[in-house]
Amino acid sequence: MQIAHSHVVLDACCILNLCASGQMLAILKSIPAQVVVTQVVQDYELNTLQRLDKEDNEGAIQFETAIAQGLLKVVDFESEEEAESFVNYAAVLGDDGESATCAIAIHRGWAIATDDKAAISFFQQGAPYLQVISTLEIIKHWSEEAGIDSSALRDTLNEIRVKGRYMPHKSHSLRNWWEAAMNRS
Amino acid sequence: MASNILDNIDLRTLGELLQQARKKCGMTQDDAAKVIDASRTTMVAIEKGERRLKPTELIKLARAYKRSVSDFVRPRPVAQPFEVQFRAAMKRSGEEEEQIKPAILRLEELCQNYLELEGIMDAPLPQNYPREYEVTDMPIELVAESIAVAERQRIGLGDGPIPLLRDILEQDVGLRIFYLEMPPKYSGIYSYDERLGGCIAINGKHLEERRRWSLAHEYLHFLAHRRKPVFDFDNQYQRIPESEQLANAFPKYFLMPTSGLLKRFNDMYRTHGKFTPTNLFTLAHYYGVSVEALVYRLEEMKLLPSGTWERLRDRGLKVRKVQQELGLEEIPQRTDMTPLHYQHLAIEALDQGLITEGRFADFLNVDRLEARRIANALREHSSGIMEEATHFDLRQVQE
Repeated sequence: MQIAHSHVVLDACCILNLCASGQMLAILKSIPAQVVVTQVVQDYELNTLQRLDKEDNEGAIQFETAIAQGLLKVVDFESEEEAESFVNYAAVLGDDGESATCAIAIHRGWAIATDDKAAISFFQQGAPYLQVISTLEIIKHWSEEAGIDSSALRDTLNEIRVKGRYMPHKSHSLRNWWEAAMNRS
Repeated sequence: MASNILDNIDLRTLGELLQQARKKCGMTQDDAAKVIDASRTTMVAIEKGERRLKPTELIKLARAYKRSVSDFVRPRPVAQPFEVQFRAAMKRSGEEEEQIKPAILRLEELCQNYLELEGIMDAPLPQNYPREYEVTDMPIELVAESIAVAERQRIGLGDGPIPLLRDILEQDVGLRIFYLEMPPKYSGIYSYDERLGGCIAINGKHLEERRRWSLAHEYLHFLAHRRKPVFDFDNQYQRIPESEQLANAFPKYFLMPTSGLLKRFNDMYRTHGKFTPTNLFTLAHYYGVSVEALVYRLEEMKLLPSGTWERLRDRGLKVRKVQQELGLEEIPQRTDMTPLHYQHLAIEALDQGLITEGRFADFLNVDRLEARRIANALREHSSGIMEEATHFDLRQVQE
């Protein structure tokens, strides 16, 4: 996975999946760009992350640790233009998290990481020149970079499926890779 | 992507929404003014729609009010505010206003969401509404039974039990029915608007027998007092108005029609040579009503002597215990907050990429994780066909 931009903004779907994986810190370290999340997503999704693992609250802890270690930077609007785009997008998408992610990525020329069909189509319509990557591309890249064995990869994907309740769409470009990785013993 | 929304938005509507949100979180205009480093008079002008907001100001206010920015700028379908509809009813009921108001506002929000989903999917809720029944100055019991018979015939229900009453009223009549949390003494809310049609909220915390009864009660309001919004609670009236007497009488005829009940009672009586408490419990379960409601109905039909319920109660009858001993399973029910059609519109919109996952979660009033669970369940429910495969038109499929 190559990222043609200095930064990549993770949206709420992607954050949720990475927190559910149980390997968030290692995965973030493997991404070849500065990873960021918007203040809006952080404010809205922390409660959801706390529900990921009721006993030890691991999802939320990983998220906060990633921020503390600088693996994940929290960014907010820095100009009236960014704020204006955010408000405009919120009127169309009806979703503050995706709108903030798109506004900041577009104004700063950053890539975006999302699995949300509506957000992808909105983003590609407004900024076709910016890169969109998915949770599975990030996981695949991490597994190859770090030489993760097949059973550890399967466990990670399984955590995302069970705790994060995420499985890729049938038309997802990495659906076959995901199925093969999930079925490998 | 989008023109500047704050230059084109209706400032008065935006001002009203901001004012409502501020009041809801208990802030004064002074507090709000400080959030955006402005004077109180500026805040007054914003809420009156006389001053344009900067995007950063809107963001700061939304954060202070703990609301989404999209709540203020997203175009929403226009319907008469429920607060206006219910103003007279709430004034009459004094202290109840504060208790029931959150449920009324919740119902309004969900109905608005429903219209929004219909707009997104271009799939308006099909309505099969009868003309409003004329009931003025007519004998209440006779009218209640005659409307119940006419409605059963109109919807094609015959004279048997109605197992999934909620689904029938949602799908065959086109009512918007939500199960909401309300304080225990409240049973239901009914409202009507030209754009929304009939909207009902039932206390989701009640037992299914009671919810079904309340639903039939509110349905009568739709049939006979269509444009009069009401909310119902225990011991509401010193002197019960005729409209409520009619709504109270209707459920027994609608849920336990005379002809069908008589036939089933006779069948049981002939088979056993007597009508036992076991028969009573079985029959109540069959019709999805409480044992008490069935006993009173059989008493009125002169099939049981009057005072039967009181005698059973004085003997220490424990309804739940007997039901368990008889192995009577729970009445089939769907207790989701939102109607089935609403859920299907939401999942179709999500799968077609017309709404985001976050918006889908908002529509279902759950967090993102629960939204994913519901989305997977709804997809499985669509006969195991996944994602795009559910969106083609079966009538257009060529062999």
